[in-house]
Parts: sequence; C-alpha cells; structure tokens
Amino acid sequence: MNGHVTPWLAAYHDGELHGRRLRQVEEHLAECAACRAELKELQSLSALLHESAAEGLMPAERFVAQVGLRLPRRPTKPAWQRTLETGWRLAPAGLVGVWAFVQAVFIVAGVVMIALQVYGVDVLGLQQPAHHETWLTAALSLLGARLGDTTLTILKELDMLRWGLTFYLTATLAIVLLYWSWLASLWARRQHQQLQAQAS
Amino acid sequence: MVYRMCGDANLAEDAAQEAFIRAWKHLPSYRPRSPFRNWVYRIANNAALDVLRRQRETVDVDALPLANSGASPEATVEKEERAARVRQAVLDLPDASRAVLVLREYGGLSYKEIADTLSIPIGTVMSRLNYARNRLRDLLSPCLEDI
Repeated sequence: MNGHVTPWLAAYHDGELHGRRLRQVEEHLAECAACRAELKELQSLSALLHESAAEGLMPAERFVAQVGLRLPRRPTKPAWQRTLETGWRLAPAGLVGVWAFVQAVFIVAGVVMIALQVYGVDVLGLQQPAHHETWLTAALSLLGARLGDTTLTILKELDMLRWGLTFYLTATLAIVLLYWSWLASLWARRQHQQLQAQAS
Repeated sequence: MVYRMCGDANLAEDAAQEAFIRAWKHLPSYRPRSPFRNWVYRIANNAALDVLRRQRETVDVDALPLANSGASPEATVEKEERAARVRQAVLDLPDASRAVLVLREYGGLSYKEIADTLSIPIGTVMSRLNYARNRLRDLLSPCLEDI
C-alpha cells in the first residue's frame, strides 16, 4: 500500500473502524513504521490521560448524602388527596369493569330471551295481544293501520329490542367518553409536570 | 467525567451534585428514545460548563491549585506534577473540544453516542477529537516521552 492511513488512525485507536476499512488499516500498520509510531503516540496520550487519577474527591457516601440534602422535598399530601389520586389512577380499571358488566348483562338478557322463546315460556307476556300501546303501535294506529296479534307481538319485541339497544349504546358511549376524558386529563397533567420541570 | 471537565475536585463535586439534581428534576421530561446514559452525560456536561462559567466570574480557574501540596516521596511528587500538568492541559482546551475528549477518553462513549449526547454531527465529533488530541500532544510532549 502506498498512502498512509493517518486520517483513520484515531478512529482505529477508538475502535470505530469496521469491515474493509479496518482490514485496510491493519494491513497498512503491519508494514508501515511511521503509521505505527503515530498510533503509538495516540495510545501513549490515552495512557497519560488515564494515569492522572481523580484525587481529592469526597467519599461516595458523603456525596450521595449531600445530593440528597439538596434535592427538593416532596410535599406530603393529606390522606383524602392520596385516596383521590389512587382512585383517579384506578379509574380506567373501573371503567373496564363497568363496560364488562354492561356487556355481560346484555348478553345474558339476550340468551335468556332466546331460551324463553325457544321453550315457549311467555314470562314477559309477549305472546299475549298487547293491552297497552307501544310508541310504534300508537303511531301505526294513528295512520289507520289494523294490526293483528302476530304483528303486535313482533312490534312489542321490536320495542323491547329498541330499549335494550338504547341502554347498551348509551352505556357504551358514556364509558368511552369517560375514558377519553381520563386520557385528556392524563395528558394535561403530564404537560403541566413538564412545564414545571422546565421552569425549575 | 465532570472532574475531567472541571479539572478541580471541589468544582467537580459541585457540578456532579448539580447534574444529579437537574436529572432528578427533569426526569419526567426524559424520553427513552436515546439511552439514559447519554441523557445523563448531556446534563453532566452542561452542569460542568455552568459551574466553570460561574467560577470564572469570581475566581481565575487557571490559578486553581492543581497539585497536591502534601509531602510525598520524590516519585510520587513527580507523578502528581505530571497529573497536574495533564489536568491543566485538558482544562486549557476549548469547552467544545474538551467535552468530546472527556466523553471519549474517560466516558468511553462511541462517536455516535457522543454525537447524540452533544447534539452534533459525527464529523464534528471526529474533528474536535482530533483537534483536542493534537493540542494535547503539543502541550504534553515532554510527559509523553516518559510513557
């Protein structure tokens, strides 16, 4: 090799060379005394820098104690505030619990209804002609429609389904909104903490 | 690391304490995108520079006693004098070059880690390191002959 590898010696010394370049420098060093001398100087400088040990520094225990003394104290919060904080942190778990409960109620109610229909048990009086009007039968009556018993039963089932769905959707929406609110307050708290940290 | 940046035990202790306190206060703003060590080194580097800056306003850092004044055998005295000369030479480097040299030589950081810690390109790390080493070689050439 003709050219010296001086520009790469520092990186070689620091272990920053890899692959082809590393092999190139190693091969050159094997046959070039000038570059070896240059490398030796770098190594001597590192050795010299490390030779001067840190002296006169205080013992680690004393240092830790001094840092501890200079750290800002955390204000102790009253018990009610700590309880509130814990409750706030557990809020998502509570919301998930409520959501699971709503799901379970909806599924169990659906299964019970289907089972009752299959076995012909008329606990809710669905097979009886409707004695009271639902919102839909009233609307249809107003339009002059004549409704048979089967039609009335179907309409009554539809009416129940509507109430069930309304309950389910309202509960789900409320849970989602509460969870979003919790996330928004979490984000606001973090922003506030960051601003405080930057200010201090 | 702060000891090498400050060149004096008392200043280094101040800077290290300052660095730990800043790290504690700013812990919520730490994002694990970069290694925790780099983040702490960056804080320590800034704390060391701040302490030096404050100190320069009141005391001439160059006039700080670097050698131990206690009585010691001849060889120890010679070694201590050499160590003091090394510390002084490192301290005489410009802040930017000294930070790179200290992170490399005493912190053992790679070029990439130094670049991340100081928010500078790798090319700048290499050029500052070269500058610092060349300058130290000039300043410490008599000591280097003894190694």
